[in-house]
Amino acid sequence: MADVTLRNVRKQFGTFVALEKLDIDIRSGEFVALLGPSGCGKSTTLRMLAGLEFPTSGEISIGGRVVNDVAPGKRDIAMVFQSYALYPHMTVGENIEYPLKKRGVKATERKAAVLRAAEMLQLEPLLDRKPKQLSGGQQQRVALGRALVRDPQVFLLDEPLSNLDAKLRSYMRAELIELHRRLGKTMVYVTHDQLEAMTMASRIAVMFDGRLQQFDTPAAVYNRPANRFVASFIGTPSMNQLEGAVDGSTFRVAGHAIPIDRSRFVHALGSGTFVLGVRPEFVTIGGGDLPARIRLVENTGHEQIVTLELTDGTRLLARTDAARRLDVGQSVQIGFHPDALHLFAPEETGRRLNKDDAASVIPMRSR
Amino acid sequence: MSATATNTPRLERAYARLGVLLIAPTILVFSLVIVYPLLAAIYLSVFSIYTPTLQGNFVGADNYVKLLTGHEFWNSLGVTLVWTFGTLTLQIVFGVGMALLLHQNIWFRSLARSLVLFPYFLSTVVAVLVWRWLFNDLYGAMNHGLMQLGILDMPLDWLGSMPNAMIGVILVGAWKYFPFVVIAVLARLQTIPEHLYEAARIDGAGPVARFWDVTMPQLRNVLTVIILLRAIWDFKEFDLIYLLTGGGPVTSTQTLSLLVYQEAFGLNRMGQAAAYSVGMMLVMLVFMVLYIRRTGKES
Ligand SMILES: Nc1ncnc2c1ncn2[C@@H]1O[C@H](COP(=O)(O)OP(=O)(O)OP(=O)(O)O)[C@@H](O)[C@H]1O
Ligand SMILES: [Mg+2]
Repeated sequence: MADVTLRNVRKQFGTFVALEKLDIDIRSGEFVALLGPSGCGKSTTLRMLAGLEFPTSGEISIGGRVVNDVAPGKRDIAMVFQSYALYPHMTVGENIEYPLKKRGVKATERKAAVLRAAEMLQLEPLLDRKPKQLSGGQQQRVALGRALVRDPQVFLLDEPLSNLDAKLRSYMRAELIELHRRLGKTMVYVTHDQLEAMTMASRIAVMFDGRLQQFDTPAAVYNRPANRFVASFIGTPSMNQLEGAVDGSTFRVAGHAIPIDRSRFVHALGSGTFVLGVRPEFVTIGGGDLPARIRLVENTGHEQIVTLELTDGTRLLARTDAARRLDVGQSVQIGFHPDALHLFAPEETGRRLNKDDAASVIPMRSR
Repeated sequence: MSATATNTPRLERAYARLGVLLIAPTILVFSLVIVYPLLAAIYLSVFSIYTPTLQGNFVGADNYVKLLTGHEFWNSLGVTLVWTFGTLTLQIVFGVGMALLLHQNIWFRSLARSLVLFPYFLSTVVAVLVWRWLFNDLYGAMNHGLMQLGILDMPLDWLGSMPNAMIGVILVGAWKYFPFVVIAVLARLQTIPEHLYEAARIDGAGPVARFWDVTMPQLRNVLTVIILLRAIWDFKEFDLIYLLTGGGPVTSTQTLSLLVYQEAFGLNRMGQAAAYSVGMMLVMLVFMVLYIRRTGKES
């Protein structure tokens, strides 16, 4: 087991800066998800940990050892690729055995280790098949088997579930959580699926545009997003963000004043434009004094997502229980739960201006 | 399959008819240019024919008896096998080596990729003229270079003595045809997923292990096909050898193609030549059956 640290890492491809000022400290045995939209640099980060790419500057260490110049095979890491990258001409057994063979492990020990890994992943009946003869989920497990057979310090996984269908994905998610619990190894998991990150990781590194936006527990990332980007990226449907002005102890939007508790925000709030954030579950329909009209009602069976339009045309979403009767076109008064308001600086990755955050809203169960 | 007319959908039958219609021209041309000469050769081989007049009389199996009992055919078959095996081996070794080199990210890659095709595109006549000039015992650059390097102390008659003539022919053949191997192997190399190499690196495989464990298994199929194809082509190679040595000294580089030519147009014995060519075809049939079985297996 080992810590993994990235210290002020920068990565350039030619003149294109893919990653900048990356500082991540992963504790031994932690399950960390790298989460962000496509092209934000997640894979590049993981590949630098693996030694398949080299940082332009900065320092990467694994288990206290700086590995900037260490070859992938000597880093004591294992990686699972999105495409699985199984050797097509080798059987399942030979695939799993390969890393041991290349490390000069004796044949008898190899056989035993392969059997152990196969048993753990329920691959015993498939050991003599070729990868082509396996389903996606089975190939995925073989790739995992090849990774865990030699007991590496760190597991690196690049979107390992993205080629599976929804049902298998949720099954494998549970399997991976269980595997992590059993092995207790450091795992770094790349995904663009927030559900995977939220449910599996002990901490999530949210990335955007080559920069780390926030690195915290799923609950913290959800309840105390560091900036507007994180706030909108985490949560489905995403947080409502209303542009407006702070005026004394109110926030003015669409010609109306929403009362806010100034003491909950940083003191230096000047005047000017700000963004008020509120999650759909904290928008109450019929419980406030902000007039709005219902534009769309989406009933998913256990809840309804309601699209509301304010008098100036601004749209926002509310989440209500499915039993409630709501009609499109209906005029309603809406309100926001006062403890669930976030205030952000107006730019795209505008900082959150709450003072916090002991009084945070409904804590999420953390693993 | 026992699909009867009643349960074959109409559309499917219409498609089948269309298919027959579409391949008919090919079949026709194929019959004219391949099947007819083949049958003609077999027909000619049972006559004794004087080439200039194409007149002659039926001799039955005499030509074949001559083939089996005389030493010309067997000598040429031996020469052909030595030539084919020698030049093919060099083509494969240099071809694969060059393909691996050109697959690397080297700065002169695109230039080198076009240059390597040069021998293949060069007309055989031109290539052979250049090589004969290089090999010449009086003013050839080869002798000059080798003497400068101290490898030779006397000029060598490269194409006029054995085994140098055979070595020369094999070398020129390898030089002329290895680009084909380069192109085919390079095309295949480019389709090997990069992830496999990355996985192998993480699994602790060095460059040599990556070659044998990732590259080679992926090249196996394409190499089999290349070897069979090139074996067939080298086996019946004519112009390169004819122009370079004319089969000499005496008959020591006279392959079967040259023997057939010599018999038909040198000695004017068309019937005997036809018998030799039928014999040659039977040997080639072995390669072809292998090739067809191999490519059939893939689909
Ligand atoms: N070898 C390369 N050469 C040039 N640019 C690259 C290279 N690899 C990645 N990039 C660029 O770096 C950026 C980050 O790429 P990366 O693959 O890390 O994204 P990602 O977050 O994994 O995205 P995705 O979710 O789509 O996999 C992208 O803009 C990409 O175009
Ligand atoms: Mg990626």
